[in-house]
Amino acid sequence: MSTPDDVIEVQGLTKSFGRFQALNGLDLSVTRGEVHGFLGPNGAGKSTTIRVLLGLLKADGGSARVLDGDPWRDVVELHRRLAYVPGDVSLWPGMTGGEAIDLLGTLRGGLDEGRRTELLERFELDPTKRGRQYSKGNRQKVAIVAALASDVELLILDEPTSGLDPLMENVFQEVVGEATARGTTVLLSSHILAELESLADRLSIIRDGRIVQSGTLVELRGKTRTTIHAVLDRAPDQAAVALFSDVHLDGSKFAGTVDSNRIREAMDSLSPFGFVSLTVAPPSLESLFLKLYGDEQGGTAA
Amino acid sequence: MSTALVGTAPLLRTNVRYDGRLYAPWIVLATALPASSVIVYPWVFSTEQDRLGLSAAINSNPALGLIFGPAGDLTTVDGFNAWRSLALGGFLAALGAIFAVTRATRAQEDSGQAELLASGVLGRPSRLMAGVALALIGSLILGLVAGVVTSLCGGAWDASMLLCLTFTGTAWMLTGVAAVTAQIASDSRTANSLAVGALGVMFLLRGFCYSIQAPSWTIWINPLGWMQETKPAGTNTWWPLLLAVALTAVLVVVAFRLQSTRDFGQGSIAQRPGPARGKVRGTDRLALRLNRGPAITWLIAFVALGFVFGYFATSVTDILSSNSSVQQVLASGATTPEALAGAFVVTILSLVGILASIPGVQVMLKVRTEEMEDRVEPVIATATSRPRFYASNVLLAFAIPTVAVLIAGALIAALASSANIGVSFGQGLIQATATAPAVWTVVAISVAVIGARPAVSLAAWFGVLLSFVLTLLGPTFGLPEWILGISPFWHIPNTSATTVDLTGLLWVSLFTVAFLAIGFAGFRRRDLAR
Repeated sequence: MSTPDDVIEVQGLTKSFGRFQALNGLDLSVTRGEVHGFLGPNGAGKSTTIRVLLGLLKADGGSARVLDGDPWRDVVELHRRLAYVPGDVSLWPGMTGGEAIDLLGTLRGGLDEGRRTELLERFELDPTKRGRQYSKGNRQKVAIVAALASDVELLILDEPTSGLDPLMENVFQEVVGEATARGTTVLLSSHILAELESLADRLSIIRDGRIVQSGTLVELRGKTRTTIHAVLDRAPDQAAVALFSDVHLDGSKFAGTVDSNRIREAMDSLSPFGFVSLTVAPPSLESLFLKLYGDEQGGTAA
Repeated sequence: MSTALVGTAPLLRTNVRYDGRLYAPWIVLATALPASSVIVYPWVFSTEQDRLGLSAAINSNPALGLIFGPAGDLTTVDGFNAWRSLALGGFLAALGAIFAVTRATRAQEDSGQAELLASGVLGRPSRLMAGVALALIGSLILGLVAGVVTSLCGGAWDASMLLCLTFTGTAWMLTGVAAVTAQIASDSRTANSLAVGALGVMFLLRGFCYSIQAPSWTIWINPLGWMQETKPAGTNTWWPLLLAVALTAVLVVVAFRLQSTRDFGQGSIAQRPGPARGKVRGTDRLALRLNRGPAITWLIAFVALGFVFGYFATSVTDILSSNSSVQQVLASGATTPEALAGAFVVTILSLVGILASIPGVQVMLKVRTEEMEDRVEPVIATATSRPRFYASNVLLAFAIPTVAVLIAGALIAALASSANIGVSFGQGLIQATATAPAVWTVVAISVAVIGARPAVSLAAWFGVLLSFVLTLLGPTFGLPEWILGISPFWHIPNTSATTVDLTGLLWVSLFTVAFLAIGFAGFRRRDLAR
């Protein structure tokens, strides 16, 4: 599966903490130049995977390669070429944001002065405040500026926008876009689908320490279903709704999902009952996400 | 007042439930100290002869008085227990109280829990009230438990109960101090440091004033002196405990006043904007920056300590000559005043060394705190290798105690040499230098613990505790030499002797190297923030 152009190749990665199995044979490959979305609910193992890729945790089994190096052994070499934004940024309480950016930048091997100034301006971040005075969003900005102000080949971003307001989230998307335009590869973990839908070229969905679905947005969309909500003149009969799944029928109010390529048939079967209102929601990752988790959780429970 | 304190009771119940168990170790320690004394004393010092010998040994080493305060009648169980436990027991109880108050007030504000609480149905002063109440109740229980257990172990009831209630008295006063510092400081670490600093100063002054036989008003202006003046097993004076209660009340009132005038989450001292650009560009500078405050505080403390101990050294011959049992030893020709003075300087520098290892261990514990608060992760995620990062911190953990020992040693040497007690400046300074390797061993234990087994980070204090117990308390228990030799400080040679034997220090340093190797290997290999 892996090609020489893979920036991150992970195969069969396992890691446990005591009895808790955090990673359970995880495979992941990230190609050079892409924004790879890493999607999963809280506690699925996203941060653990990222920490293994950074050499902060030692994997129990499987193999992991980052930029053609071993993340555990070649720490210094690799870290010169990548930058990281943690999900929960904790700053030194007595140190200003500006000082923290300079420290992290210098330790990584220098930062681009011009871009540092520009990013501070775009994120409207005051670098003279102390770590303990920043709000969560502002701490996040400090880490984002520190990471994006250096010239690196790979950006590893662990839920980077948590705590950012919508305006700043926009700025963040622009900035990541510019980074990819420079040729930077991005691994972007998130549980917010909208963010990944607009940024990611490919997605891997993780659950219980394993990748359950992986592919481009188009590929994943193909696997999803269209949701239809309709208020009808009279209640439809059983034959009419046979085509749908997840059917909710409340008198004349109807909701259900249908394969995206069978919308036409669906409309035909409902129209005899007369539409009062109709919404057809395009396939979203949200539904895929819910389906994957809903189904499999049901599966494991059974 | 009734609406103001709404919510205190449920909050206190929660505090007791979750923080109460953190109080347990302090109760155990403060009970073990007097209880062990009354158990061990009759067993080790069974004859009148032994007891007189102990009394002479303690009276001939005034350095011990700096820590323990004045000795009463050391030939009885209760007299010995009062001497050995009063100061230290109070110190331990006070530490427990300080940490409890800070944890329930300032630390909650730092971590944001207090915000959740303050937005609930809760009077403004309720959180402070609950914290203070927790510490007051905890220290009262501590005193009662210690007193009852000690009496049951064989101490006299009145002397033991009074002795252990002085622990409570000390803890109550420091509860008041901590309640005040929690309002002044802008974070929990500073609040703790200020309160512990106040305790340390009073503790040292008490020992110092008694040892140099300073005028009695110097004792009475020191709250810890009141506790000493109860003289358990001597006159058994109970009323100074009332002074402690009064002072506690005053301090708590002051704390509430301060709290009502400050903003939530802020101290009385406001934050100024800092520099927009950083000068800290490497892990060495980072380690220094993170430990700057405590480092400066400790070094100032060691300047003070140097003066106090040095001044004390100048009067050592007077103190010794006023003691009849020492006079007998000298008259018999078994030793010379110079030899006694030399031995005294060795003891006092060992004491300085044990104290100096504390900031070293703190630097290593700070590494763990930083790690658990996810601040090491971004540093290691840069092109910084783990050994490089760890080395910066280890270097600092060795440097601060070394500088501290040398500063205090130089001051002691300078003052001692000026007083013609038979110790020259050079000798004193060499002796201080010879103390450093033992300090390094103690610090190296914490390097090994934090590197290899950080889950038991409290074990980092093991070296300090062991050295303290063996070097200061060990001899009074009549322990055999091979046990005393576990303490690295036991191997420090007396450099004023004609032949100086350095093999002990060599052995000690081998252990240092081994501990360092364990620490570095562990830190390189283990998962971070786990």
